[in-house]
Amino acid sequence: MKTVLTALTTVALALCVWGGVMAADEKPSTLHLPWKEAGLTERQAAAHLLNRFAFGPRPGEVDAVVKTGLDRWFERQLGGDLPDGKVEEDLHSLPALHMATAEIVRTYPPTGLVLRQAREAGVLPQDVAPKDLKGDDKKELRQKVLAWAQEQGYHPEKELAGQLMVQKLTRAVESENQLGEVMTDFWFNHFNISLTNGRARPYLLPYERDAIRPYALARFRDLLEATAKSPAMLIYLDNAQSAAPEGATTTMQDEMRRRPVRMGARGGFGGRGGFGGLGKARPQAQAAGKKSPKGLNENYARELMELHTLGVDGGYTQQDVIEVARAFTGWTVLPAGKAREQAENRLAKVQMAGGLGFRSQGEFLFRADQHDAGEKTILGTRFPAGRGIEDGEAVLDLLSAHRATARHIASQLAVRFVSDHPSQGLVDRLTDVYLKTGGDSRRLLIAIAESPEFWSKDAVGAKVKSPFELAASALRATGSRLDDPKATLQWIARMGQPLYAYQAPTGYPDRAEAWVNTGSLLNRMNFGLQLAAGRVKGVDLDLPALDGGHEPESREAALKTYSALLMPGRDLTATLKLLTPMVTDPNLAKKVDKASPKDAGRSAAAGGDADEEVLAGGSEMSATSVKSVKVRGRLGDEPREPVDRRPPTPLEQVVGVILGSPEFQRR
Amino acid sequence: MLTRRMFLKGGGVAFFALGVAGNPSFLTRTAEAATGTGASASRKRKVLVTIFQRGAMDGLAAVPPIDDSLKPLRPRLALSAAQGQGATEPGLLDLQTGFGLHPGFAPLLPLWQDRRLAIVHAVGSPDPTRSHFDAQDFMETGTPGRKGTPNGWLNRAVGLLGHDNSPFRAVALTTSLPRSLYGDEPALAVTNLADFRVELPGADRTAAAAGQGFEALYHQTSQGLLRDTGSETFRAVHMLSAAEIQRYQPAAGADYPQTPLGNALRQISILIKSDVGLEVAFAESGGWDTHVQQAGTFNRQAHDLAQAIQAFWTDLGPFQDQVLLTTMTEFGRTVRENGSGGTDHGHGSCLFVLGNQVDGGKVHGNFPGLSTAALYEGRDLPVTTDFRAVFCELAGKHLGIKDDARLFPGWTGRRLPLLKT
Repeated sequence: MKTVLTALTTVALALCVWGGVMAADEKPSTLHLPWKEAGLTERQAAAHLLNRFAFGPRPGEVDAVVKTGLDRWFERQLGGDLPDGKVEEDLHSLPALHMATAEIVRTYPPTGLVLRQAREAGVLPQDVAPKDLKGDDKKELRQKVLAWAQEQGYHPEKELAGQLMVQKLTRAVESENQLGEVMTDFWFNHFNISLTNGRARPYLLPYERDAIRPYALARFRDLLEATAKSPAMLIYLDNAQSAAPEGATTTMQDEMRRRPVRMGARGGFGGRGGFGGLGKARPQAQAAGKKSPKGLNENYARELMELHTLGVDGGYTQQDVIEVARAFTGWTVLPAGKAREQAENRLAKVQMAGGLGFRSQGEFLFRADQHDAGEKTILGTRFPAGRGIEDGEAVLDLLSAHRATARHIASQLAVRFVSDHPSQGLVDRLTDVYLKTGGDSRRLLIAIAESPEFWSKDAVGAKVKSPFELAASALRATGSRLDDPKATLQWIARMGQPLYAYQAPTGYPDRAEAWVNTGSLLNRMNFGLQLAAGRVKGVDLDLPALDGGHEPESREAALKTYSALLMPGRDLTATLKLLTPMVTDPNLAKKVDKASPKDAGRSAAAGGDADEEVLAGGSEMSATSVKSVKVRGRLGDEPREPVDRRPPTPLEQVVGVILGSPEFQRR
Repeated sequence: MLTRRMFLKGGGVAFFALGVAGNPSFLTRTAEAATGTGASASRKRKVLVTIFQRGAMDGLAAVPPIDDSLKPLRPRLALSAAQGQGATEPGLLDLQTGFGLHPGFAPLLPLWQDRRLAIVHAVGSPDPTRSHFDAQDFMETGTPGRKGTPNGWLNRAVGLLGHDNSPFRAVALTTSLPRSLYGDEPALAVTNLADFRVELPGADRTAAAAGQGFEALYHQTSQGLLRDTGSETFRAVHMLSAAEIQRYQPAAGADYPQTPLGNALRQISILIKSDVGLEVAFAESGGWDTHVQQAGTFNRQAHDLAQAIQAFWTDLGPFQDQVLLTTMTEFGRTVRENGSGGTDHGHGSCLFVLGNQVDGGKVHGNFPGLSTAALYEGRDLPVTTDFRAVFCELAGKHLGIKDDARLFPGWTGRRLPLLKT
């Protein structure tokens, strides 16, 4: 069955490619990519495209892009819908990717919740603290609790985070739709939410899956609304808890005045507790605190303007922050767990009463009883009284069409794709494109690819790869097969970019200084060395195969051949000059050849332990540390052989040096 | 005599040979610095060591009023001083100030009696959040209520100091960079200093050769940032010889606990003694979120923290004058115990400050008592001292940072006097 499917996929793929070529032949590309004018060769230009709009070239890909035509390759990437059978097959075994949000929340509850429920169910005695469960003498009890959790259909929370990270790395390395992945990475970081926030954590996978990736190449306005209504964002920036201030007239009150409502429904919504339980992690706290939080929370409103749209100098005032916060009151999340059924019943009642201004859409809930329906003035625009969900939606319209937003997004795209310090002229042109096209990502990307700045000699190779980009590009360049991404994810964290774990809503800074520092640079060099030596677990690479199985005749020859293979389309004269003495260093050669197996074993073992050590600790964030990444049934792997302990071959050393070299850190 | 700082300024490759062969080990320099000889002694940098107690330490378990006023609120959990006499369980240690110290913190008592250790009580953030994430975030950025602040207060502190570019100015002994150190200034997160080298599988000597090769490679690359950081990186590698770190013996028989915190403080001590330009160090201690059966957990955590700090201080010996240590935690816990023998998320807590210039042996701040009227929302110890009043004092007097408004943007409060002037 599987074979048939694979065969079918192959046929379909071939047809698509053929169809694509045909279509392209019939209709020549309307793009003009000015690489010739910049004095680049076609191969150099293809490599530059792959380094910026993809996670680096795979073996032979530069030539393939040249053959397809650079403009046509770029157009297909913009389509974002190339068949991706390999990725889909590889990700098939990650269950959470295919679950509805509510099911995810149900399946991967936080450990604390599981323990509380176990206590309530009498499985865990009241007097046993979670910490005590770790003890050896508590093994039986631990097993009992685990078995109970399994009966409930629960899976460890860390499996969820693991699947999220694994799919990201797998897609970056394997997906045909590279630009879609690059833009997903870009927008996620723009609308950053962190796994370190325990309440937002269960919603992070659906956040990327449902609110970011489908809009990665879409209009900014649509993406903005998808994030604004996502449970992850509503929780992370506290809008889920933002309610009309005491005394304000709510939309529901307005609605009830407008039409006679049966008493039953009125009774059902008299209080504010109807959809309660939100943002309240602990029943104890609720019991003690009694009331659910009331009043405005400005966090989302502020970051919406400062980070997501206008930018920090976007010209808004504190009063605008308050008014925007008022506009978003009532934008919240359907509760999970026990409170959900109750909330859904109440929603049904509301529907019977004519809606009363309430709206729900997936996990998103607009609570008319918490929306401040008064008049607002935002950035000089008047928002009339008496509206409901339209208030927030109109704010999103206003902000996404604002010139400051256009400039902010233009500037961030230019930084991501062109250089850390893009020219004013380029940013101005992109700003205009944004305004003319309603913030169309595709048109913005085209404008970048058609700009002379993108192809200028100053820009080519000027960006320093983020740790994630470095790892993905190294795996792609070496044509590695990613069987188990865990160890690679650990390296990415060691190099300074624990995935999905940047705590601040600002996202990772997108400039070289943020990535290149003393600690991370050493780890980058070490990653290259270890990867090439086959010491990154779960990465299967065949270096001789890259050169058709030829054995290089000398280190110099290996250096020359593999530099060209791993960094195609680049002028490597200077790099080769620098690298040659290093790989031919008699020290390096002799010492490696003489290294006794005993020495090698000890050293490799120590390296392996260090990986674990580096990622240990930080108990508060244990659910997010890469060490605890666990993925169920990943690709049906057999138990892996222990890591190879032999000393690295000369070829592995040479490739390690190339991957750790300054040149490979750049894109 | 080549000092570490001269070495640091001297630039990369040329000094490599010295780095492995002729250069005296940092322990030699330690002795030299300790006796006050050598040019480097006078240039010693002040170091602020911070320990974040994640999970919210129960300040009332740590430092309760000694008069048993906690007992009615916590019938099962509250300790009393009397317990010490003849009872099996140790009781509160009397701080002679109206407060007791939880017996788990016993290793700190001598430092208190020496008046090097101070306590600030009812301290915390003015923001009412009871979310760990938000409260830690606010304490680390130093901007309560604002989530978008891009940098952490310790990073801003390093920036305001503006000293030369040692790669070790700001170091966190954590797996990833803490929010406190986010920002424009280079900061290092490392859990094991011995890993701070080029690792080539095979043999150590091979790795050394590879390291040498990379050093030359980065030294000559055309990209400025990679070149400069490369040189800086290898300078750092030479400064910290992995072998020396592994062989390191704490001074004066200091006995670090074999725990993450003990390890972290031990390595901070190495960095201080190595004189590599450390100014701000960050360590963390987890497990303070004691909702269930608090007594045992708290005692273990307290003992770990106290033993680690005590060992660190002993180990520092003559370097103590350079160093100021402070603990912090995101909030306190409910004044009343809950139904599971624990406490829930509260508001004010307490913190410890240790240093030779500290106005020690005192409980600073304003402890309002435990009457219901005095409590925040009728359930928590209120925050009567903003944490920024403490951090400003420490950064101001110890590190010499004058610009409080840039260290804590938007804050207009006054420093809490804690250090002798």
